Amino acid sequence: MTPTAVLHSEWIKITSVRSVRGSLLAILLSTVGFTLLAFATMSESDRAGNDLLAGAFTALNFGQLAALAFGATAMSSEYHNGALRLSLIAVPRRGLFYAAKTAVIGALALTIGWVTTFTAFLAGQALRGDQAIGLDHPGAVRACMGAGLYLALMALIATGLTALLRSAVAVLGILIPFTLLASFIFVDVSGVAQFLPDRAGQQLIHQNPTGSLGAWTGLGVTALWAALFLLIGWWSIRRRDA
Amino acid sequence: MTTIQVHRLTKQFGSRRAVDNLTFHVRPGRVTGFLGPNGAGKSTTMRLILGLDRPTSGTATIGGRPYAAADHPLHEVGALLDAQAAHGSRSARNHLRALATSNGIGARRIEEVLEEAGIAQDAGRRVKTFSLGMRQRLGIAAALLGDPGVVLLDEPSNGLAPEGIIWIRELMKRLAREGRTVLVSSHLMNETSSFANHLVVLGRGRLLADMPMRDFLDTGNQPRVSLRTTEPDRLRTILARTGLTPVRSDEDRWSVEGTTAEQIGATAAREGIPLLELSDEQTTLEDAYLALTAREIEEESTASTTSPTSQET
Repeated sequence: MTPTAVLHSEWIKITSVRSVRGSLLAILLSTVGFTLLAFATMSESDRAGNDLLAGAFTALNFGQLAALAFGATAMSSEYHNGALRLSLIAVPRRGLFYAAKTAVIGALALTIGWVTTFTAFLAGQALRGDQAIGLDHPGAVRACMGAGLYLALMALIATGLTALLRSAVAVLGILIPFTLLASFIFVDVSGVAQFLPDRAGQQLIHQNPTGSLGAWTGLGVTALWAALFLLIGWWSIRRRDA
Repeated sequence: MTTIQVHRLTKQFGSRRAVDNLTFHVRPGRVTGFLGPNGAGKSTTMRLILGLDRPTSGTATIGGRPYAAADHPLHEVGALLDAQAAHGSRSARNHLRALATSNGIGARRIEEVLEEAGIAQDAGRRVKTFSLGMRQRLGIAAALLGDPGVVLLDEPSNGLAPEGIIWIRELMKRLAREGRTVLVSSHLMNETSSFANHLVVLGRGRLLADMPMRDFLDTGNQPRVSLRTTEPDRLRTILARTGLTPVRSDEDRWSVEGTTAEQIGATAAREGIPLLELSDEQTTLEDAYLALTAREIEEESTASTTSPTSQET
């Protein structure tokens, strides 16, 4: 039982379930789709004065929901009718099992995340005519690379929480309202809001990041959140009856 | 050869004690039937043996080691716990591929077990289209993947059609003949008696019996004889002298408790009473099991009357 074999096994598990493949693809389709929709319908005046770089990633909000759904469904398929028991009979070392599972989820989300951010950026700019910015625009490559990482981290947050709550529905019921609403509710109340996983990680799509967190430090904060949720998930997998 | 060793195993779920201080061994080369009513703790014990549940106290090992430490898990142990565990959206083949790959088992072996389980032609279909019987076959195919020395099956004949039940029975016997350790749980008595050589019987989490099937049947009931005769009245008078009382069990059939066909045959020959039929009645596993649980309840009630303070502590 080698780590490579277990990684391969997790790859088969994740890619052989249609709903999981679907939510992975949804990261790309929703982000690119809403980017195109936004630029095709936005008037000149809407765009004026905006942060051009942040504008290019407006649809990231949709992509991150799909990323959460992917992380949650990829993990929750282990909690149907004792599937986890069967998985742990094949791979009784729970650390190896969990590490392989999260590695495959993270790698898939990152790959699709990067494809998504670069595609959305380039496709969106193609509709902007005169105002288009290219990858040579200051911060553009940083934003594309960082936003892809951000999507993968959001998927991992959902993965860790699913290992704790054992249900994708419960996880999405918590995380989706949280990412959609919390930032609005906490807006400018205090400096604390900027440390929320989505707020911190989205700093790097801004031309000039605001607040005390910089672009990469902000993503680092999101990474810390992901690490925290993955640890909570690991505790659950290791300690509880399967 | 690999022995499953369960030692003083206890599992508490909240206030309910699902497994209570269990000690028994499952040895290779025979089919061990794991018997008890639903809720007796059979499935919990199997999960504890496989390291899926954490014991409250005690140990369960396979070949002297906890299963979680196995180097080649599926080559050491194959298990069917729940036929529903296969994800409905995967094809049967992909389900087995995911399991096999983690243990370095190749594609050829997957086809072999699909063939063996009789679902090769349906292997490309999604599991959600499978009947319960086919899922059960898929679960057994998964258990056989690594050609393991130890096989644990939890209610394997659930949902199987008659020919499926015969298949699984012959499979289990064959696995035992090949020298493997086979533990099979069931709540069905007659079925278990058709394949098990040895029995481990649970009742409310506790060990009620751990003995060869033959011995279990012998301890179960008093010997009993069934007979037909043309002179029941004369036979009754004669048997009454030795303290035996024939009871009419059917139209012209009599049943005598506490004796054997050998004794009755000799008596009848001596007295010149014609016998039309004479046989020892086979104790069924059901009889033996009910007798055992009846004794258990009796012991429990005497225990509770002799120690009335035990309730207060």
